[in-house]
Order: sequence, then C-alpha cells, then structure tokens
Amino acid sequence: MKILNIITKEFLLASRSGYEIFMPIVYFLIIIIFFNISTSYVEKVIMLELLPLMIWISCLLICILNLETIFKEDYDDGTLEMFLIKDDEIEFGILIKILSHWLLSNLPIVIVAPLIAMVLGLDTTTTLTLFITLLIGTPTMSLIGSIAAALTISLRKNKILVSIIVLPLYIPILIFGTSAVNNSFFKMNYSVELTLMLFLFFIFLLITPLACSKALKISLD
Amino acid sequence: MDNHLIEIDNVSLLRNEKSILENISFQIKKSKALNLYGLNGSGKTSLLKIIVGMTEPTSGFIKNISGDEDLFKKTIYIGHKYGTKGNLTVEENLSYALTINSKNSQLAIKKALETYKMTQQKSMLTKNLSHGQQKKVSLMKTLITNSLLWVIDEPYSALDEESINIFNDTTKEYLENGGALIMTSHKKIKEPFFTTENYKIHS
Repeated sequence: MKILNIITKEFLLASRSGYEIFMPIVYFLIIIIFFNISTSYVEKVIMLELLPLMIWISCLLICILNLETIFKEDYDDGTLEMFLIKDDEIEFGILIKILSHWLLSNLPIVIVAPLIAMVLGLDTTTTLTLFITLLIGTPTMSLIGSIAAALTISLRKNKILVSIIVLPLYIPILIFGTSAVNNSFFKMNYSVELTLMLFLFFIFLLITPLACSKALKISLD
Repeated sequence: MDNHLIEIDNVSLLRNEKSILENISFQIKKSKALNLYGLNGSGKTSLLKIIVGMTEPTSGFIKNISGDEDLFKKTIYIGHKYGTKGNLTVEENLSYALTINSKNSQLAIKKALETYKMTQQKSMLTKNLSHGQQKKVSLMKTLITNSLLWVIDEPYSALDEESINIFNDTTKEYLENGGALIMTSHKKIKEPFFTTENYKIHS
C-alpha cells in the first residue's frame, strides 16, 4: 500500500518533469555511438572485447550523473523535513525512494544496454552476463550514491562532492562487473565475481537506509 | 498533567559558538495555542525545529508528557518550505499527504478545499499557483489529518485577510476539540482569536 503510494508519486512526478526522464537513455546512446565511431578503425574482435566494458563504464557514469537528484527535490520543497519528522518507517521510505529512482533512471539502461550490445554483435552468453551484472551492479551503485547524496544534500552545489565521495566506492563494483563480463567473453568462470557483487549489494541494502536516514537528519539539523 | 503535551526543559542552542537560544522552558498544553514571538533571527524557527525533533538542542530536553508515545508522529509541521510538490495538482498534493489512519479521505480533502475556498483550483499544478495559494495548500494539510499538535512556522505570512480568518476559524475549532498549536510570529498577539499564550524569545 505504502510502497505503491510512494512509487506512483515518484512516477507521476517524473512523468510531469518533461523530457528529463529520457536523459539517462539519451546519454547512454550518445556514449555508445561515439564509442562505435571512434573504434571503427580497430579490428572488430578488439571492439567486441571492449564493448561490454565500455557499456559498464557508461552505465556507471550515467549513474553518477543523476545521483544528487534522489533527495534534492524533496529537500528543496520541504517534503523531506515533514517526511523525517512524521514517518514511522523512515528507513523503509528511503529504500522505496531509492528503488523508484533506480527504476526510473537506471532500469531503462539495464534493459537497453544488452540489446544494443547484441545489435553490435556481442555473443549471447556475454550479453546475458552483461545484463545480470548490470542488474546487480546498478542498484548497488544507487544505494551507495544515495548515502553520498544524503550527506551533501544541504550544500547548494553538491554534484562534484557526490561524485568524489562515490568514486572509491564504485571501483570495486566496476572491477567485479567488468571482470565478470570479460571472463564470460573468454568463456571463463565468473561465479566468484557475481557472488561478490551480490554480497556488496546485500551489504549496502542493509547499510544504506540507516546511513541515509542518519545523514539526512544531520544535514537538516 | 492531563492537558499537557510537551515540556520544554531548559533548552539552549549554540551555533558556531554563538548562543541562539538560552535556557528556554515552557509547556505546551492541550486546547491552547502558543505564540512564539521575537525579532528576526531570534531563533524562533530553530526552537520549532528542536520541538519537532529535527534539531538536537545543545543542552536541555524536550519531554513528551502527553502519555501518547506517538505524539510526534501525530504532529503536523509546516515550515518555511511548504512541503508541496510543484508538479502535482492541489488535489494530488493533499491526497499524498494523507496519513493511513485518516478515514473518509476524499471527503476530508473536499471539505478542506471548500474551507479554504480552493475548490476551483484543485486541478491546477501547485507551481502555477501564487505564493499565498501555495501556503493555503500546505495549511490545508492540517485539516485532512488527525493530528494532536500543529507546529506552524509563520502561519500568517503570505496570507490575505480572508485566508487569515479562515485559518483562525479552523484553528479555533481544532483547539476546542482538544488540539494544540505552536506557531511563530513577529509580534505578540494582543487580541487573540483563540486561547493564546505568548512567549517572547530574546535574542
């Protein structure tokens, strides 16, 4: 009931905010097109080897780009204050907010990226690995990023600071994600990487709501 | 202690080594409005934030002596920022502000819209409304939820005379039904419309 309430609200707001909702996917397409043009001089095999890694990097970049929007609007119009005072399940509410942010800004890429990879000639197994790693990796990045966004919410220009805070925390995910995809490309075992990624996801699923609610309270103090 | 809700016990607040609030003690009682007044920058808003638990006081306590553990969850806080979403219509804003325990919610929204004479604007996006109308939308939230305490920062700012009267009427009714109100303003309320206690904050 409450989950649906928050998610429908976020989706309604996103649908009214105009073309902004398409920004992640447009950025993603731009990066892929540029990548394709600039690698048209190298051999196809090398390009295909780089492609899944490139997709991973672009997903990570786009994820960083729209991080600070998670709580920004709520902070600006005062909804956040009321939410933090009144709500009995702050942590749960924050988790739902992060979920709807992920659904709106990351899930489209997670779906489109493997399709594009297929079109560009990547084999099915690697495409599947790419899809799975993105499906685990991007929510983890949203979770980590929302802690940084919550910490810096009261600063007027927090984009740079958020990016710097999340950078070291994103590196493990990037390493595991790209390593899994790369192993899959060369028909090697990648279950270790997947396990570690799942482990990171669950760790941050547990930590983030608590850390966010504390950070938001401190920022609003 | 039946009609007491909250005790503010010797609260002080320091910010950047400057004292903003010093040894403030008072009680919030049921069926009464408390008007915190003082100069600009005297710490009225900070005190409200301390009362609702958003800011930690440097020393002193806020005690819930109402006997209801959920008092602060049944509190409505309307601050400088109105808490309305610009991209939602008036009606949507209100319906998302509803708490689960409020019954006959659609009826309550309709009634609130009628009380504040905003029925005509109910399908307009809030960002297209004037400042005062947006304030009215946020004040309407007090009418659609069952709350024990209203905490409102500057309820009269940005409102026209008619809306001020509406707010006074609704507050009077609310107080008579056992509610309580804490508000801030720039001046002492000399001719109170409802049972009001004035408390001056010195800076």
